[in-house]
Order: sequence, then structure tokens, then C-alpha cells
Amino acid sequence: MKNRLKVLRAERDWSQAELADRLNVSRQTINAIETEKYDPSLPLAFQIAELFEKRIEEIFLPEKRK
Amino acid sequence: MNTILKLLSSKWMGIISTVAWILAYFIARGILENDQLSEGLRLVVALVPIIPFALFLMSVLAGIRELDELQRRVHLEALAIAFPLTMLLLMSLGLVELITPLPPDDWSYRHVWQFLPVFYFLGLAFTWRRYQ
Repeated sequence: MKNRLKVLRAERDWSQAELADRLNVSRQTINAIETEKYDPSLPLAFQIAELFEKRIEEIFLPEKRK
Repeated sequence: MNTILKLLSSKWMGIISTVAWILAYFIARGILENDQLSEGLRLVVALVPIIPFALFLMSVLAGIRELDELQRRVHLEALAIAFPLTMLLLMSLGLVELITPLPPDDWSYRHVWQFLPVFYFLGLAFTWRRYQ
């Protein structure tokens, strides 16, 4: 799944470690989400959306169906 | 309860319980190789490593609860690699033993458990690479 996490994080000038601390996850998890190697669970996606004050679909974009 | 969980999941508790378990195993093994003890006492010595192992297990479980969702997934995938590989090793040893008797000191089933953590750490390294 595509996402805008890296852009949103950069806008706030947060490091991956800082964002990880705010979400109570590891830095590796943030990196895996940003590089789109891992899709977060729904509760974590909601937590991310709440932190950035956006709706989930504004952050996470579904892959286009083939 | 939270304090106990934090204490158990601390890095030091993990290291101490692992070292205690390994030491208890080798000490018990050293004692059991000595035939001078009574059978009852030998049985007690054989079961003593269960105590540090229980501490090790509680520390692992507490540690798992502290992990985030991706870390848990990585550990699960590592187990999913280690468990079948260990079964494969057991199965192969069983089949080979039908052809030729294996020397028990080198190839006995009692050595197989040592491969489980080896396969687990291999699985962990392999799985982490996928998410980096």
C-alpha cells in the first residue's frame, strides 16, 4: 500500500525515531512503513492519522487494482 | 503487575535468565555424567534446569508483549522458518536411521533442540532483511 508518511513526517521536521516515539513503535517499523514494505494494522493506521490530524485515506493510498 | 512485566522484559533479565538456564543445563549434565548419585537425586538434578528455563520463558513472553506489531510479525515469521526446519531435521534423522544406525553421541535426537535457536536466529536475520 502506498503512503505519504515520509512526506508528512518531513513537513513536521521529525526524524523517524521521533515519530516512532510518538507512536510508541520502533524506528524500524516506521522505516518499513515509509518504504512500503509493511502495511500497518488498522489501529496503528488510525493512530498515525490522529497524530497527523488527517483521515486514513489521506495518508494511505490503496494500490490500483489491475 | 506492570513493574513485574517491566522487570521481566528488561534486557538484563533476559540475559541473566538465559545465562542461568545454559549454566544450569551444563552443570546438570556434568553432574548426571557422574554415576555416583542415587537415581532419585539424579532425577532432581535433571529437572533443576526447568527453574531457570521458566524464568527465561517468562522473560521472553514479557519481552514479546513489549514489542510492536512489526517486531512481533518478524519473530512469528522467524518461528515459522525455525519450526519446520527443525521438524525437517528430525524427519531426516529418523529416515536416515532406518537405513543405518546413527552414532548417538553425534546424531542423537537429543542434539536436535540446539538447532532450533540456530534456525530461529537465521530466520530472524532473513525476515528482518525483508522489512529493511
